[in-house]
Amino acid sequence: MTRTSPTRGRAAGAGYALPAVLFLAALFAVPLARILELSLHPVDGTGNPLPEFSLVQYQRVLTEPFFAESLRSSLLTALLVTVLCLLLGYPVAYALARTRPGVLRTVMFVIVVSPLLTSVVVRSYGWVVLLSANGAVNRFLVATGLADAPVPLLTSYLAIVVSVTHVLLPFAVIPLTTALGGIDGNLRRASQMLGAGPIRTFWRITVPLSLPGVATGALVVLPLAMGIYITPLLVGGANRPLAGLRVYSQITSVYDYPVAAALSFTLLLLTLLCVTVLGSGFRFWERRLYG
Amino acid sequence: MADAPAAERAATGRAAAAPSRPRRLGRRILGGAGRVAAALPAALVLLFLAAPMAVLAISSLNATASLAFPPSSLSLRWYAEVLGSQEWAVSLRLSGLLVLLVVATTAALGTLAAYAVARGDFPGRRAVAGFALSPLMVPEIIIALSLLYYFQGLGLVNTIAGLWLAHSVVALPFVVRTVMVSAQNLDPTLERAAASLGAGRLRVFWTVTLPLLRPGILAGAVFAAVTSLGEVAVTALVSGANTTTVPVRIFSAVQFELDPSVAAISTLLMLASVLVMVVVDRFTHLSEAL
Repeated sequence: MTRTSPTRGRAAGAGYALPAVLFLAALFAVPLARILELSLHPVDGTGNPLPEFSLVQYQRVLTEPFFAESLRSSLLTALLVTVLCLLLGYPVAYALARTRPGVLRTVMFVIVVSPLLTSVVVRSYGWVVLLSANGAVNRFLVATGLADAPVPLLTSYLAIVVSVTHVLLPFAVIPLTTALGGIDGNLRRASQMLGAGPIRTFWRITVPLSLPGVATGALVVLPLAMGIYITPLLVGGANRPLAGLRVYSQITSVYDYPVAAALSFTLLLLTLLCVTVLGSGFRFWERRLYG
Repeated sequence: MADAPAAERAATGRAAAAPSRPRRLGRRILGGAGRVAAALPAALVLLFLAAPMAVLAISSLNATASLAFPPSSLSLRWYAEVLGSQEWAVSLRLSGLLVLLVVATTAALGTLAAYAVARGDFPGRRAVAGFALSPLMVPEIIIALSLLYYFQGLGLVNTIAGLWLAHSVVALPFVVRTVMVSAQNLDPTLERAAASLGAGRLRVFWTVTLPLLRPGILAGAVFAAVTSLGEVAVTALVSGANTTTVPVRIFSAVQFELDPSVAAISTLLMLASVLVMVVVDRFTHLSEAL
């Protein structure tokens, strides 16, 4: 350090990042730019892109109910799943953050993280097995007399919401655990010593201080939920009105790449819009809390 | 909440005398109820998280060709079938090879980038960090479509090289994120000490910086490995008949049949991931690296 000038140090620092930047430029940015360009071309009768530029694909995406409905449905489903992940993840994160290191904590941690480490296909397949006509849930329903015959759970919207929530839940639990674990226990004690009960302490101390974790969890889960297609495909079938599934079917069975690209970009814009609104909402809330 | 009364007594000897005995008893009961109230939802959610995977593992032990739960009789025949199958063996080898390639690539690229972002002082540092993490913000179907279209032009569809590059794009942000945490906690005086004792730039990086970053790199490597091992969203589109990874083979098998052999291979994949995690967790705390 003593022998190198500050400017050289700077250049070297930037140099370390260069391989990754070049790699992502070539394999992430350029491919995205290529499909953005593709989405600006009209197609001939067989789905081949024509040389001239137009916004006709975006017009199709926004006006044809087949696509527009799927965008609306994806957005609503993603928001619902995000809220569910935060609500379900909070108690687990709370328990994880307050359990001392030991066997119990390790078991809890493995249960939380193992879905993250297991292929999404395997997890979705687990739900297929659980919800199929002779699966555990239907057997339980029939055995207890709650249903006369097996219920077609597999193709229901509920099944999609439940399985997508399951797949994305660990992404919410982890930042929540980090935030809750970082809260100084003395603050809780101080609050109780000053006469606040456990419930009031929870709402006035724990929840506001865990807000950064809530924000991170929401901002991680939402984009993942917006474009998810493997899980809904396996659990609900390819015909559900979700944008991810519509893109997939345009690619694999209709071979209309330009409209798939336009739908993808509309979905991406919608995702970034949501992330921006949500992010600034959380920042505004935090500023109001901490001044 | 649990140790609040004790802390109260310890922290303020005089103030602890203030609440009357019945009130303290009431608070203790309330505290106990509060703990149960807090633990019960957590237990239910953990059950929800574990249920589908437990059901899958148990169903794979069915003696008959059905996924009935609970199984009427148990056997390991589907495991024998999967492990003896040529198709699954090819897929297992391919998935294993990809894990090695992807971990090596992303660990190298990700570590350097994270170190530069966390410790460097160059203009555009935040932009580089944002760019390195940006694949996380893009819905998976979009990455899948863009790589499919790009690879079609380059002739990389249905090739091992294509899958290697695609998995690396998806896995790289995880490595960058975990190493960045380690790099931010790294004490710069250690590097300065090594440099002042005469070690060259490369030697400092190799013998001081890298060992200190090891927890983050290890955690990142685990995530890269499991990402590659489980990747379907992009792989399903850019792979082909000659490059069917294990999860993609599961994906297509699940769409057409419900057979315990798929549950058996899924369980094996699951066990492999949990094993990797438990082993690595002995060396570094994955939970903190996230």
